Amino acid sequence: MLTIDKYAYANRIVQWSPQLKALCWLIGMIIAFQPIMALKPVLLVAVAWNTVYLTHVSWHQYFKWFYALLPFLLLSIIGIVFTAGTDPQQIYAPLKLFGGYIGLSKVMLPRGIAVAVQAGTAIVCTYWFALTTPFQQIIGFLKWTHLPNILIEETMLMYRFIFIFIEAFEQIYQAQKLRFGYDNLHLMVHSSGILAKMLFEQVMVNYEQMVYALDAKLYQGEFYVKGPEP
Amino acid sequence: MIELQHLNFGYEPQRTILQDISLKLGQPGQNVIGLIGPNGSGKSTLFLNLVGILRPTSGNILVDDQPIDYRKKGLNALRKKIGIVFQNSDQQIFYSIVKDDIAFALHNLKLPQAEIDRRVDQVLTELDIQALANRPIQYLSGGQKKRVAIAGILVLRSEWLLLDEPTSGLDPDGRARMLALIKGLVARGQKIILSSHDMDFMYEIGDYFYLLNAGHIVKEGPKDQVFADAALLKRSQLEQPWLVQLSQRLGLPLYQNSEALFADQQLQQTLRAALAKGE
Repeated sequence: MLTIDKYAYANRIVQWSPQLKALCWLIGMIIAFQPIMALKPVLLVAVAWNTVYLTHVSWHQYFKWFYALLPFLLLSIIGIVFTAGTDPQQIYAPLKLFGGYIGLSKVMLPRGIAVAVQAGTAIVCTYWFALTTPFQQIIGFLKWTHLPNILIEETMLMYRFIFIFIEAFEQIYQAQKLRFGYDNLHLMVHSSGILAKMLFEQVMVNYEQMVYALDAKLYQGEFYVKGPEP
Repeated sequence: MIELQHLNFGYEPQRTILQDISLKLGQPGQNVIGLIGPNGSGKSTLFLNLVGILRPTSGNILVDDQPIDYRKKGLNALRKKIGIVFQNSDQQIFYSIVKDDIAFALHNLKLPQAEIDRRVDQVLTELDIQALANRPIQYLSGGQKKRVAIAGILVLRSEWLLLDEPTSGLDPDGRARMLALIKGLVARGQKIILSSHDMDFMYEIGDYFYLLNAGHIVKEGPKDQVFADAALLKRSQLEQPWLVQLSQRLGLPLYQNSEALFADQQLQQTLRAALAKGE
């Protein structure tokens, strides 16, 4: 189960209008991507503190949510700051290799840090919005912005079914783990393959049953999407 | 009235799932009709035939003396008349908020918003789930999800309600609530056909039963007749309800439900007297 979702329904500003929360998020994003560097870390810390205050989430849990994103962020930053060249003067801690030098680029390091702070600020702001805005408010807001219905429908169905998918994933994963399916690399690769196959098969079976249920509810090819509450 | 005439059905030509099924549903005094049978006996397949999702290989289904019209318009009319609630609640709840999902079928019918709101409120009250109206589906219990799935079909106000395994996966409290819910629906005139493996549940709620085994109707009749045949139930991999066992094995009167048994003062006095004598 996605515990992250629970906070959206029970936080100190759950009753705020989604438009106001979206505006706050937008201001946060503008600050994250504007050129004045000093503002960004201040905003990052302030928004992170504010999120923890509003949602009553523990710092430990809050940091754990970043684990999923950190590998992507780190890979990007490493790609930016690591360099290879012939001039050791341009590189921090140069390491001689095959007649050249590799290490941290003196030119690119500030750039890498700037990107990291920028991305960190944007992520913290997005978490703030996601953790304080219940899903029906997000749908109401998307409707308010007059996005195409098909896009809102897709968003709505993905949100509904992602929980079922995660639940199925967790059940299969736990069953495999209990039978030592992830004890070493070889088994892990094998079990992951089976997991993917089983999930795919379940999707196919569930799809058929979902079509039956849609028929029973007289589905006409369109999901009604509700506008914002008056 | 729903009538099945020599209905056969199979997904493949060589392998029939339902064989020569003939029955009349909705005769006087049959408000809750039970369909019992072991796994794979064809209960769910029969349900899917009844709502036109599957089409019989041969034979007819007559609804109010008219054969099912399998064109889109005819099927929509049929599904307004016969609502079906499937076993797995998660696969029939599409919206993330309870009241939005209950309103789904009504939006598909393009009813005016005021009428939709009225019907949704009515069903929420009827099933005693007003408190869940604005709750996200993923945080409901299995029993609550079942009630929401039933509410999503009840709003259609169909004459018939098919319930496929309504108690599967429910804890004792959920099962008791389901029993009360069905009794409430029957009291207000809803015709119900249900399938379940829970024989005690079926005995307590049903009026008339069809026992299905390997695609055939092997017995039909009022509950005291169908459940009296212990050998046939055993051959069909089913068990007798405990109230019937008490009657057949211990010679107690045959009670219609557990409340009737525990309310029998005379039985209590007799038992107390017999126990005292034994001491």
